[in-house]
Amino acid sequence: MGTLDYILMGIQAVFQGPELFSFLGLSISVTLVMILAGFLTGIAVGATPGLAGPVAMAIALPILISIFGYTPDALLPVMGFLIGIMKGATIGGAVPAILFNTPGTPDAFMTTLDGYPMTQRGKAKKALRVAHFASASGDTFSDIVLIICAPFLALLVEAYLDLPEKTALLILSLSFIAAVIGGSAAKGLISTGLGLLAAYIGTGEDFYPRLTMGQPGLSQGFPIATAVLGVLIIGAILKELEDLWRRRRDSGILLEHRDQGDQRLHRADIRRLLPYIGRSAVIGTAIGALPGIGSTLAATLGYTVGKARYARKKRPDAPEFGKGAAEGIAATEAANSSVSGANLIPVLSLGIPGNAAAVFLILAAESIGGFNPGPSVFRFTSDSVNPELVVAFGLFTAMMIANLLNWTIGGLFMRSMGVMIRIPKQMLLPGVLLLTLTAIYAQETRMEAIWFTMGFGVLGYLMRAVEISPLPFVIAFILGGKLEESARQAFAATGGDPWFLFTNPIAALFMAMALGVILWTARKKKGVT
Amino acid sequence: MKKIFKAGIAALSVAVMATSSMAADWTPPGPIKLMIGFKAGGGADTQARLIAEELEARLGWKFIPEQVTGKGGLNLANALKDQPNDGTAIGLVVTETLGYNMAAANAGMTPKDFTGLTTTAGFQMGVVARTDKGWKTFDDMIAAAKGGQEIRFGAMSPKLADLAYLLGKAQGVEFNIVSVKGGKGVMNGVNAGDLDVGFMAGIQAKGVAAGDLVNLASALSEPLVQSPVAPTFGDLGVEFTADGYFVFVGPAGMPDDAREALSQAIIAVVSDEGTKAGGLINKAFGGETTISGDDLTKLMASDYANAETLLVAASE
Amino acid sequence: MGLLTLAFAAVALFAWIPLDTQTGIIEKVRRQVAIGDALAPSVAAGFLILGGGLLVPVERNAEHQPRVSLRGLGFTAGLLAIICISFVAMRYSGPLVIWIVNSAQGGDLEYRLLRDTAPWKYIGFFIGGTLLISCAISLVEGQVSRKALFFSVLAVAAMIIIYDVPFDDLLLPPNGDV
Repeated sequence: MGTLDYILMGIQAVFQGPELFSFLGLSISVTLVMILAGFLTGIAVGATPGLAGPVAMAIALPILISIFGYTPDALLPVMGFLIGIMKGATIGGAVPAILFNTPGTPDAFMTTLDGYPMTQRGKAKKALRVAHFASASGDTFSDIVLIICAPFLALLVEAYLDLPEKTALLILSLSFIAAVIGGSAAKGLISTGLGLLAAYIGTGEDFYPRLTMGQPGLSQGFPIATAVLGVLIIGAILKELEDLWRRRRDSGILLEHRDQGDQRLHRADIRRLLPYIGRSAVIGTAIGALPGIGSTLAATLGYTVGKARYARKKRPDAPEFGKGAAEGIAATEAANSSVSGANLIPVLSLGIPGNAAAVFLILAAESIGGFNPGPSVFRFTSDSVNPELVVAFGLFTAMMIANLLNWTIGGLFMRSMGVMIRIPKQMLLPGVLLLTLTAIYAQETRMEAIWFTMGFGVLGYLMRAVEISPLPFVIAFILGGKLEESARQAFAATGGDPWFLFTNPIAALFMAMALGVILWTARKKKGVT
Repeated sequence: MKKIFKAGIAALSVAVMATSSMAADWTPPGPIKLMIGFKAGGGADTQARLIAEELEARLGWKFIPEQVTGKGGLNLANALKDQPNDGTAIGLVVTETLGYNMAAANAGMTPKDFTGLTTTAGFQMGVVARTDKGWKTFDDMIAAAKGGQEIRFGAMSPKLADLAYLLGKAQGVEFNIVSVKGGKGVMNGVNAGDLDVGFMAGIQAKGVAAGDLVNLASALSEPLVQSPVAPTFGDLGVEFTADGYFVFVGPAGMPDDAREALSQAIIAVVSDEGTKAGGLINKAFGGETTISGDDLTKLMASDYANAETLLVAASE
Repeated sequence: MGLLTLAFAAVALFAWIPLDTQTGIIEKVRRQVAIGDALAPSVAAGFLILGGGLLVPVERNAEHQPRVSLRGLGFTAGLLAIICISFVAMRYSGPLVIWIVNSAQGGDLEYRLLRDTAPWKYIGFFIGGTLLISCAISLVEGQVSRKALFFSVLAVAAMIIIYDVPFDDLLLPPNGDV
């Protein structure tokens, strides 16, 4: 089966899935509907401050699995929905950022800097249009890069990397993530260390479940959903609620801004924006391709680079960055959107999640089964069909369809989402708390799962209080099992060589890079930034 | 004498019929918790859920499936043995759980803590390698090993690792035994070149048919259906086998009518190729193997006893 | 200072790990040398030590120290208490109601056998859920309002509808492990 055959099969899988209904004689497959539904949900969720894409993915997952079951047929509809949410949320997050100075999603924070001033000047609609255009462009760009690169990367890995190298690569990823995310290398390391430790409770080769102190409830280890959702979502909710409570004294007043003047996006505008979009898209894609770094960093970098460029080249009467420059919106939105596509490169080709959304895709794949992200997916078998590869191409197709939706109806829907801000946060968040816990229970059916999640939630809250980023924790938790497995196998396969990480040149290189990146970031922070 | 004999037989048949008819009338006093010892979405998990689905459709019994994985099925065993034994809690594991794993774990459980209901299917466990390695028979691989080549042998459970070790010992070579997660893990490893050879419990079927993989040996007491020429472990000098089945069990002390009813119901479903469960088993395992009742109890006990011997043999 | 304790915690873990793993030692021999169960957690502890070690000298000089407010922590503790109580209520309201019904009517219903039939299965979730949401909202707002109660009833009802009514297989808490 050649590459082209697989691509066709992937496209077919999406379009010819179980038919939901017929429209004008064309059968609309369930996957297509799911992508659309996910996309709209994503925009709505992204536009609601307090909710984020991952939350929606978390809550939707058990519902989706219940509808579609555990067979491999369920993969494309479920993951199509999640991909839709992923893309919808990235443009949805810009809406409240622009309209109300509150980012709907964390990576939309930079968008508030120029988006809100534009609203204050009566240019809200235009700002939204700019955000949409930049977002959609960035997204499409990175998807194309993803589709081209992922298979190659996977094959490259397969061909050249043996078990010790794979282990070293995982160590490098973890070190990289620890060093780069969050404020400092030290905090990142602590986060990572905790995540690994949590992953190793209750697991292990021996018959006695390790680190459980004899508790039977822990003998299965912590389900991924509890750790991930607990730290990321419950922890965030706890922090948010505390912040709300503290700010209750000085309540914010919502100002009404009227749109005035020219709201359309002109060709000239587009031409001016394109270089910023392009630059940011490349930055975002590059950053996204590296596991662990997420859209927030990309948005920041895109903004910073754009700002430097803009300061040199701007027209004298145009506002500066931070005062309502459309280019500012374009720079950040393009960057944070292009991360979403590129983020799937390490996920699909190596099985290493780069950000929260990728985490949920892996969660879905693990829950449903039949698709194990990693190099084995991209094996182009000669005679028999590799079903995982078909699924992978189906996913690519789904992404392109979502992009299509983004370009067409995305903007429209986005602008109508201003209404989502009206739900008071303090009512919404407890509801989301219960919803998340119920969703976890639906998957795990043990009360302990709820306790675990709350425990992780408290951990996430404390981490945020001392400004340790929870993301390395989550990623380390996910990769912990893989790391141990791969290390064990490498050790056994090399016949018990204790220096197996260093005897191979490539592995040794990875290890050196891992150490290097930690030391380099640590030293940089020592000086005043 | 004959009279007593006849009366005895009559009494026995009455008893048997009574049990069966009691079984036919038995209904679960509440929803049945179905513990599944396998990962969600996998073939074994699907098997359990399909069987439950079919029974719900046929008999109206309500099942509540629950994943209890880990420690080779021992987590499930631990959780199951304390459940009520009125037929409202059962679990699906493999016989290895109640045999080798229980013996090795020393966790205070024996097969006597459980009531065997029925097996559903057996595994076509083979020793598999990629064809492009150039080995056509098992002896080819041994020759390569003896010639100094390091052979990486993938095994997905401690029992299989022990068996691989004994196989090597019997043949006079030493394998690098690599413990991998699940049969899929072995297949991926073999395909990727990370492993030279490994155990596969049936997923090699497609590959062997296509010519990409080759069954070098059968790890069962009988030859493999797909490759009858490949030698068995007995032929190769190993006195243990990897015989195993999926098995439904309940806590010890289950009343006979509940046990009968559950076993017969499950057997009926898996033997019927028309059902989704039966069809799956047919496709994946070449048909059902149902051992139940006293035969199953005996099998579980002998497995456990053999496991002790295996553990001793492998530690030398 | 709180950062010093982090480095300390990492060291403490070095005691926990060897005590709580079966193989205990890092490498175990089973005719072959293999990695024991204790290695991976030790690596994790290593990360922690490294992190804590870097933290201590570096963060002393950092200009941005996170401030942890005690009042804020107090609030969160209260919130967590609400959550815990709500879930305990969720777990036991169902059996409690059954017990009351049994005492009143003299029947012998068992919650475990009824956990899949409405309306019994909703009792726990409904009570616990509404308790959770309304109390949490009230805590944040600093006042008890009917709007909060109304909203929480609505939200819980919506959740029941989404999760339970259409799907046969999904169980609302606590019916999975009663």
